[in-house]
Amino acid sequence: MKIIFRLVLAAALVALGIWLWTVLFPSPEKVIRKRLTELARTVSFSPNEGNLARLADAENLAFFFSTNIEVNIDMPGHERHVFAGREEITQAVLAARSAVSGLDVKFPDIVVAIAPDKQSAVADLTVEANISNERDPIVQEMKFTLHKTDGKWLVTRVETVRTLSILNFEPLRFPSIVLT
Amino acid sequence: MPAQNQPTQTAQTLRLPDWLRIVLIGRNPKVTLARIAVLIVSCFIIFKFILFAIRAEGISMLPTYQDGSIHLMSRVAYLWHEPQRGDVVSIRLAGAHMMYMKRIIGLPGETIAFANGQVLINGQTLDEPYIKFFCDWNLPPEKLGPDEYYVVGDNRTMPPQYHEHGIAKRDRIFGKLLL
Repeated sequence: MKIIFRLVLAAALVALGIWLWTVLFPSPEKVIRKRLTELARTVSFSPNEGNLARLADAENLAFFFSTNIEVNIDMPGHERHVFAGREEITQAVLAARSAVSGLDVKFPDIVVAIAPDKQSAVADLTVEANISNERDPIVQEMKFTLHKTDGKWLVTRVETVRTLSILNFEPLRFPSIVLT
Repeated sequence: MPAQNQPTQTAQTLRLPDWLRIVLIGRNPKVTLARIAVLIVSCFIIFKFILFAIRAEGISMLPTYQDGSIHLMSRVAYLWHEPQRGDVVSIRLAGAHMMYMKRIIGLPGETIAFANGQVLINGQTLDEPYIKFFCDWNLPPEKLGPDEYYVVGDNRTMPPQYHEHGIAKRDRIFGKLLL
């Protein structure tokens, strides 16, 4: 009985040690997931949020991206949009925020692949965006390329992934609600 | 004396009637415990690796599947054979939390087109009894690759630009809808 108790105690201590190790020294995958979840939270805003808070959030958003960030949005049935640099992104986000009353963005699935040099990574994720007063969410698969700069994972490229591809397709001649 | 009798009385009042004890924990508690363990492990294996409960959101599969309805999907349906035309499948995006629910209309190697709402497979009209609403789509032919399937919803009343459909790679097909 004493041996069993000691074994159980040893196993519990090992488990505690492993847990502490993962908390103190999280893996790059975990850090990236956390950062992307924060990004989704920063993009989201409630209908009753003040203008100053919106502006602050839009400016905070810039710190998630590298200076040479490129965003390439190409959704089926919509015109293609390309944004380059933090300034353009901040402007696009502010424009989007003024177009809709509220937005709740989530990344329910994030699949991270770290490059062998551990300095860059690609995250394939699903974006679920719920716009206030809209019944159906916008669902889109996206690919985020990240690079480690001064110890921080910054997004260098964002592009849409075509889950269902269509080769010969005429886009509608008005922009998506996400981009206006 | 009353003070000495009290514990016995409390134990007697807390003791469950035999019939209720049998209903709640069975005749043999050890066997009941083993049954519960087997049930939990079975449920975990079934709902993690074999069946998947999903909730349909949106109108693209109307009238076959209603918005908000709950369904079961088999993850092992395509272990022994490839997806068939007419199967309703779930197409994964980045993961399994959000997926598209669509019907397979085109198989690998085929050429798919839409003419006045009719699906043409290699130039031949496809009979689709599940389509109940009017459709006037006209889309040019698409030749599918060796591991590509053409998927689309049953409700094609909206313009094709508003309806998520197109070519899905085989590895994106996550499972087949059972009910």
